[in-house]
Amino acid sequence: MLSILIWLPILGALVLCLLPKKLGAAYLRRVALAFGSLTAVWTVWLLTQFSLSTVGMQFTEFVPWIKIIDLNYSLGVDGLSLPLLALNALLTLIALYSTAYSGERPRLYYALILLVSGGMAGAFTAQNLLLFFLFYEVELIPLYLLLVNWGGSKRDYAAMKFIIYTAVSGILLLAAFLGIALLGPVPSFAFDPAVTRGLPPLTQVILLGLLLLGFGIKIPLVPLHTWLPEAYVEASPPVAILLGGVLAKLGAYGLLRFGLELFPATWHLVSPILAGIGAVSAVYGALVAIAQKDIKRMVAYSSVGHMGYFLLAAAAATPVSLLGAVLQMVSHGLILAILFHLIGVVETKVGTRNLDALNGLMNPIRGLPFTSAFLVLGGMASAGIPGLVGFIAEYLVLQGSFAVFPIPTLLCVVCSGLTAVYFVVLLNRTCFGKLDNETAYYPVMQWSERVPALILATLVLFLGIQPGWLTRWSESTTNAIIATVPTTDTTLSLSKLNRLISTR
Amino acid sequence: MLEFLLRTVWLIPCYPLLGVVLALPWFPGIIRRTGPRPAGYISLLLTGLAFAHSLLALQGLWGQPTRAMLLPWLHVGSLALDFPLEISVVTLSACALVTGLNLAAQVYAITYMEMDWGWARLYALMALFESGMCALVLSDSLFFTYFILEILTLGTYLLVGFWFNQPLVVTGARDAFLTKRIGDLFLMMGVLAIWPLAGTFDFSELAIWAKTAQLDPTLATLLGLALIAGPIGKCAQFPLHLWLDEAMEGPLPSTILRSSVVVATGIWVLVKLYPVLALSPVVLTVMVTIGVISAIGGSLIALAQIDAKRALSFLVTAYMGLAFIAVGTGHGETALLLVLTHAVAMALLVMSLGSIIWNNVTQDLSQFGGLWARRPITGLAFLGGMVGLIALPPGGSFWAILALGDRLWATYPGLVGVLALVNLLATFGLARVFGLIFTGKSQPMTERSPESPWPIILPMVVLLGFVLHLPLLLYSWQLLPSWASINPAVATVLTVSSLIGLSGFWLKPIVIPWQPLHELLANDFYTTKIYRFVIVLPVVLAANLTAFLDRYFVDGLVNMISYVSVRSGQILRYSTNGQTQFYMLTVVVGVAFLMGMMMVL
Repeated sequence: MLSILIWLPILGALVLCLLPKKLGAAYLRRVALAFGSLTAVWTVWLLTQFSLSTVGMQFTEFVPWIKIIDLNYSLGVDGLSLPLLALNALLTLIALYSTAYSGERPRLYYALILLVSGGMAGAFTAQNLLLFFLFYEVELIPLYLLLVNWGGSKRDYAAMKFIIYTAVSGILLLAAFLGIALLGPVPSFAFDPAVTRGLPPLTQVILLGLLLLGFGIKIPLVPLHTWLPEAYVEASPPVAILLGGVLAKLGAYGLLRFGLELFPATWHLVSPILAGIGAVSAVYGALVAIAQKDIKRMVAYSSVGHMGYFLLAAAAATPVSLLGAVLQMVSHGLILAILFHLIGVVETKVGTRNLDALNGLMNPIRGLPFTSAFLVLGGMASAGIPGLVGFIAEYLVLQGSFAVFPIPTLLCVVCSGLTAVYFVVLLNRTCFGKLDNETAYYPVMQWSERVPALILATLVLFLGIQPGWLTRWSESTTNAIIATVPTTDTTLSLSKLNRLISTR
Repeated sequence: MLEFLLRTVWLIPCYPLLGVVLALPWFPGIIRRTGPRPAGYISLLLTGLAFAHSLLALQGLWGQPTRAMLLPWLHVGSLALDFPLEISVVTLSACALVTGLNLAAQVYAITYMEMDWGWARLYALMALFESGMCALVLSDSLFFTYFILEILTLGTYLLVGFWFNQPLVVTGARDAFLTKRIGDLFLMMGVLAIWPLAGTFDFSELAIWAKTAQLDPTLATLLGLALIAGPIGKCAQFPLHLWLDEAMEGPLPSTILRSSVVVATGIWVLVKLYPVLALSPVVLTVMVTIGVISAIGGSLIALAQIDAKRALSFLVTAYMGLAFIAVGTGHGETALLLVLTHAVAMALLVMSLGSIIWNNVTQDLSQFGGLWARRPITGLAFLGGMVGLIALPPGGSFWAILALGDRLWATYPGLVGVLALVNLLATFGLARVFGLIFTGKSQPMTERSPESPWPIILPMVVLLGFVLHLPLLLYSWQLLPSWASINPAVATVLTVSSLIGLSGFWLKPIVIPWQPLHELLANDFYTTKIYRFVIVLPVVLAANLTAFLDRYFVDGLVNMISYVSVRSGQILRYSTNGQTQFYMLTVVVGVAFLMGMMMVL
């Protein structure tokens, strides 16, 4: 069942490589799209078969592989990974669909995207530490190639930085996984929270610290984030969508799956620090974004800020906040994808991403009214305007965390205001203002550019109005995870708040 | 039939929302062949439906007790976010007012925006506001109140930024969005804090909770301050008032709504939240103080405005200030009465002004004059609105302000003085505007000025009739104070202050004689400049500093590590000279070093 999600895209990549040489890019794109769509259809079918009330892994698969180190091909999916699998399938499809025919070396390009998608699905479903690590590392190679071959002028630098950072992240993870496997009573790479919870406290702290550093690079958290702006900005829009929309979520997912689930007690111990890092990331990302002149860079930094919310929610670890964290991953993926897509459109039509050069794109005749309208929607969703999916994720994060960490939560509310500042700057400069009639001879908007925006916007709006469609998948899983964390006294918040205030 | 309409009251906000959805294809030019007009007509039709539904439902509910309804939305753990509807005579009347004024404004826009290419956008946004406000008054939940207020903030941004080609509009839209957002975010902090404390978002349950809540005074104060920040932004009170002034760059039909009902949403929320706010006396004092400052400040600034729309907009701040005073002293019902009389009178004034601006192509007060003979209907509408707004019997606001004065007389006599002063200044300001536009000699801009076409005149005259009949309606609804309870002293003070204010008809100063005072008031106490230094500058500095650190320190460190590694490799490669002795020496030194380290440790 789950294997299809992994191997179907990889098969697609193989087929693409074996197709006759004379076929054009449009044909290759259709083949890639066919495989992407099949994967997406399969994901939808999984969604319909997923039992909402079951706690624990579903659709599990187990094939013994290398018994001596307990590396097994063990897959499973629960409420934590299912939304991300769906996001992966959707964004892969969008990345494939939104790529222009005229790109260079289309065969390699489409094959690599399918490989990334398959690797990602593997990482999200792997139930064995070493298997996860393999998938985590394997998808790096196609992504590096995508970055270094198709992208902006500084793509060599960006790709190198990305690969070094992520390789360091991988080494740290490997160290942590080896520690987990070897320090237990029986050496085993199987994912087993019961074993890790029994480890001595100091060992747990060290292992969790390694995981935090490793996944912190991927998420990314301040100050481990400097690969992100370069990579997001230099990547071509479809690659940036995959990178920001799904790949970075791998870090967030890993932190919940291997940090919170394996070491709940230690997690609770270090959670005040995590909440602090989260709040700092949020404010830091927003402040740096305000100072940017390049709209793509601005959106890239917004990503740092929004992942700060995620960490705050994960640290608070209440039922509401953890669900908020899952929602934040999905909503951020969708919003980032629509923003990167639209910025890509603006760049191809207008030829610049510079705030000082852009102006008046909302002009209905000679501007890009469609793009502008959706840019407003995407920006406002990111700024947390209600009725859009960003709001409900943000609200659950903040409401869930407030009783546990009031001050970091309030800092994140301030950050939400700063987010509004830079999106208003972005919209004011690009969409509003007077269009320069001398230069406004933009190419006609293609349907292949409109459809991804339409699909993403519909999802952003629909899930914002009906968030129940998003929360239902994960609620029983997040509740089960929270049940293992030592109770945070959310009920006593009144006295706690009072205490907090009277001590100042 | 009426029962059915009552049970489907939740449809009222849905009609205009449907209008928004249907209007959308015309905006980005997906439908080009028909021109943008059909979008407007669809929206008008649906607004009409919403209005009819509100009126019929109101008729059906008349004399019956309040009903409640629950629309399930989202349940997450212990957090239950359902949309509770409060269906009462008050909420349905508010819906009728909102939809009715919206219908009038949309008819008005047919002519006012005749030649504009943004029809679809304008009508969609006006319908969005209508829908949001109806949902707001029907909702009985603080969470959804916040939800809707925030959407309306976005709506304000887009509506003010309607003519986005002009630089002033762009900055106006930005300021409107950001100032309102500041208020909203404090409100959000309040929303976040109230859930763990009270465990509910329903206003009615919050009121019950507040009766018995034992809160630390500081906590209660912080909570209350956060909660009133949202309404301060919505009602354009000091210090978040500057957006309303800049919002005047937006199209006038939207100003009709903004000046009358949109600002009133803030007061509505305050009245609903009063039991929670009353937990802290400090919060109430702050509300009254802000109200007094806004009322006096707003009415003073209005005197020095040359722009006709702005001369009215600052009066909105002033009247909302009076409503703040009313809520802060515990007279929520009086505040709502004042908001009602203000809303219809102000809408009429703006319509009348728009009728002038539309075909004289200017809104500079110094360029008008002598229009009374040419524009009698518009002039009468202005006078009607003025009588409805100032405390001059038998106008509607007279009774509202009088009721407030009566109640304050015993407890806060000083505030009655504030009421009289604000009334005097507001009357003077309105009389000045009327005098400058309608009396005196004609000027080049007013030489030719025929009366406006019917889509402008019709809603204006209907509204004029409503404003003039409002006191009778209030009487029949028994909302007026009885003769016996009226305090003659207050009534006299208010009437006299209005009569003195009417001297503005003849004095009508274009600029205030004393230059520094004029500068101070004309520039809105230099609020924009102060904000540029106090808020904008620190944020920009912090942003640039963080970006600098990010680039040269955080990223610089990373790049330095890579540089050092590459560089040291490049240097060390020259040490490969092929001499075995040298390699041996390196190995020996290295081993010795490591062993030394191990001994020491």
